[in-house]
Formats: sequence, C-alpha cells, structure tokens
Amino acid sequence: MKQVSKIKKDFPIFQRLINGKELTYLDSGATSQKPNIVIDSMSEVYKQNNANVHRGTYVLSSETTTKYEDVRNKFKKFINANSPDEIVFTKGCTEGFNLLANSLCKNLSEGDEILLSEIEHHANIIPWQMASDRYGLIIKYVNVDDNFNLDMNHLESQLTEKTKIVSLVGESNISGMLPDIKTISNLIKNKTEALFILDGAQLVPHREVDVQELGIDFLCVSGHKMLGPTGIGVVWGKKELLENMDPVYGGGDMIEEVYYDKATWAPIPHKFEAGTPPYVEAIGLGAAVDYLSDLTMAEVQKHSDHLRLYAKNSLEKINGLNIIHTDSENAGCTFAMSVDGAHATDISLMLDTYGVAVRAGHHCVQPFHRKLKIDATFRATGYIYNDEKDFDTLANAIEESLKILR
Amino acid sequence: MSIEAKVEKYKKTLSLFPNPQEKYQYLIEQAKLNEDFPPELRIDEFKVNGCQSQVWLVPEEKEEKLHFKSDSDALIAKGLVTLIATIYSDESAQDIADSEIDLMEEFELGVILSPARRNGAFSMLRMIKEFSKKLTN
Repeated sequence: MKQVSKIKKDFPIFQRLINGKELTYLDSGATSQKPNIVIDSMSEVYKQNNANVHRGTYVLSSETTTKYEDVRNKFKKFINANSPDEIVFTKGCTEGFNLLANSLCKNLSEGDEILLSEIEHHANIIPWQMASDRYGLIIKYVNVDDNFNLDMNHLESQLTEKTKIVSLVGESNISGMLPDIKTISNLIKNKTEALFILDGAQLVPHREVDVQELGIDFLCVSGHKMLGPTGIGVVWGKKELLENMDPVYGGGDMIEEVYYDKATWAPIPHKFEAGTPPYVEAIGLGAAVDYLSDLTMAEVQKHSDHLRLYAKNSLEKINGLNIIHTDSENAGCTFAMSVDGAHATDISLMLDTYGVAVRAGHHCVQPFHRKLKIDATFRATGYIYNDEKDFDTLANAIEESLKILR
Repeated sequence: MSIEAKVEKYKKTLSLFPNPQEKYQYLIEQAKLNEDFPPELRIDEFKVNGCQSQVWLVPEEKEEKLHFKSDSDALIAKGLVTLIATIYSDESAQDIADSEIDLMEEFELGVILSPARRNGAFSMLRMIKEFSKKLTN
C-alpha cells in the first residue's frame, strides 16, 4: 500500500494540532476521516453541477444524475454485486437495517424466529425488536464465547425451520472478530430457508468483500466509516429478493403511476429511495470508493492485519490493561479496553490531552457490555492513515494516564 | 460565600492550570478529597442521567439551606460534580433557583464542559435547579 505518511497528506484534518500535539486519530470505528478527493468531489457538485436528480431536462440535472447513478456502478464493482440495480442508497447502516426489518418482517408469521448474535451493534438489534413487537416474532441470540468469537455449535443449534432471518456482524466493532461468513451461510442454507443479512459497517471499509462469494442475501454499509461523507450508505440485496419486497418509505421518485386511491412502484432500486436522495453525499461516497479502489482493498486489508498484530503486541505489554479482542488469527484492528480501578471515560479524557482520539462508552453494544459486567470500555481502531507510531503514542499515553488515574 | 463568589474562586483556581491535563489533575484531586458519599445512596433515584459515567447527586435540606452530596465512578466526572455540588451547597433554594450563572461559559474546561445539550455537566446543573425550583414552589 502507499506509505501511510503519504496517505496522511491526502487527509487535511491531520494538519491540525490537538492540545498542541499531532492528532492520533484512533476512532475510525465511529467514523473515518475524509480525504481531499471526497471533500472536493462534493464541493465540485455544488459549484459546478448542482440540480435535483432524475427529473430535470437540462444540462445540470443530467450531469448530477449521471454522477449520482455512476456511484451505483462503482459500488457494484466494489462489492462484486450482479447489477447496479442491487445497490440501494440509504442514510447508513442504521437506516439499512430499519428498511430491511420493516420490509421483510411484515411477510413473516407470528412465532417465526430472527437469529442475531450477542455482540451485535444496536442498529442490528433495535429494528428487529421493534418489528418483533409488531408481528409477534421471536429474537434469538447466538452466544459469544470467552475468546470473543461466535459459538458456532450454538449457532447451528439455534437454526430451525422457524428461523426466517439471520442477521450478523461482519466485523465486530468491539472485539474485531470476523465470523466465518461462508461457513455460516452454508449452515443456514442446509438447515433453513432463512435470509442471511450481513452488517458490513466495519467489514466493508477494511476488507475485500465479494457478496456473491460470501453467500449472503443482503449487506448493509455505512459510507462515513469508509472515507465517505455522513448521511449516505448502501443496502445491497439480491435482485430477485429486492424485486419482491415492498418499499418502506413513500413519496416522490419511488413511484411509477400515482392515482388518488393507489400507486405503483418504480423498479428497483428506486422504489426504496423516496424523495430527493442525498445525491451529493452519494457522489462523495463514489470518490471514497475510488480512493480505496486505487489503494486496492487487498492492500487495505493487508495493512489492517499488519497494524492489528503490531497494536495487539504493544497493548498487551501494558500492565493491568484488559483487552477485549478475539484470539482468532484473523481479526479487525479494533481493541476495546478497560482497566481495573480506572474509568474508561477518565482514560479517554486523559488520552485526549495527548492528542489521542479514542471512544469511551458501550459503543452501541450495551447488552454485550452488560454480559461482561463492564459499564464502559475505551476503544481504539486503526485504519489506512494509522501506522505503528500511532499505536506507540496510544500505548505511551495510556501508561502516562494511568500514573495519574490509579 | 455566595454562588457567584464560589464560581469566581474556582474560575481563578482553574485559570492557574493552562493546559487541559493539569485541569483534569486538579479535578481528580478534588474527587479524591470527596470521600463522604454513603455507598448505599448510589441508587437510581439519585443518578444523574446523560453522563458518560455514573454520577449521583443527593440533595438535603438543613436549616433552610440546601446541601448536595455527590459521587461518580469516574474521577474527572466526580471532580466536576464535587465542584458543582460545592458551589450550590449551603445556599437557599431561592438563591439557587434565581442564579443565572452559566458554568459552561465561566469554566474553561474544554471537552468536558462543551455547551452541548447532552453534556453530563448540563444534566448535573439541571438536577440541582429542578430540585431547588420544586422547593421554592
């Protein structure tokens, strides 16, 4: 991959000093920083092309529409989808799950089961809870073992003919765990007719994803975690599945014919995208896909794996630091941590004074923190603009902070 | 000492520490001095919502003056709630309810006192004010 020092130059935020120190940004699990190419692509639309998409009969609208629709092609290629029509734009993963839960669950029967895991993000829990309340569905959770991996035997035992949806995290935002998606997909297909949804929020920014090879039915993605702007994401779904689903939002642009008493829907993906879409954000996401594709996702993944091993090694040397991280050979560069006798919030406030940005709290995975009997952890995640030095700075800052806090 | 005078005193003290790390260290020292919170009062009834860590504030009325006991499981938050509890303790409910001083503006405490609505310090202050207003009505 291009040298990290050169990559950093593409991200204007790294010119900032925080508390007089260089910025050590280790909170990409929450949101990534943005390269110039993304920022410029968006400002160019506003300066050069801006007009609403799909409706106009003039140059500006046609240019904006072309740019916007072209992002579907880029994303199709990025995740190896079959068709750009399988790329539905959303606000992000959260909206993606809400769309899927609302559209899919109304076709289920009372007592049907949805299988999640104990380590899911709230975005992959709450929409299913809300739909379950409405349709009388049952949610089950796959156990996570002491090494922070999915218990595959438990997963298999939870799959029954009543299981209609399985929705799992692709890369954990707590432990970095990477479930074996292909194996899980085979298990599901052998035992059930359930649809398999993958939470790609952390997976897609960091690793090569081929939706056809993984054997999944749907994938949710957040643009802002993969160098893109906020307010844009993607739901990928198999064409035949999307075509048979009802839209969730009604309004302009998602229709074919409208009468006073009824309406018919536009073809996919447009039937899921009511109203003026965030086309500028989508174009920004397209630039992010270009940036990552230039680096190649194979290299991004290699960098993540290298950085994870380095980080793991240096964090493990810190006395008294509990690290919630999978023991698997492959994992994401994400470390949730706690220290006995020091609060995660205190540690992260102290780290901030060293210019180190990490997150403290439950990282939207409250039930799993409750299971571990920990109120809060602080979490560091590495990305393409982080190198060994960033994790050295983190390790030193943790040790210095603990001298004051303990 | 009036609420305003106490705020002024702390403002002066905090200004002696130019960088955020020293300010946090000062708050941590204040937290460590505040040791008289009965553990049995660490209950939901006294919990301040909206803080990243757990914070408890217990109001008491003694001889027409209000007193606040405070605690937190995090040190910096505890230092902050200790300061706030001291500022509003030994004052009448009326004085507290009438006080319009904006701690967020007065104390330069960086990220922990950013003027966000979901800020923990804002919730601490609101709890003190609401309790005082209830008594004055």
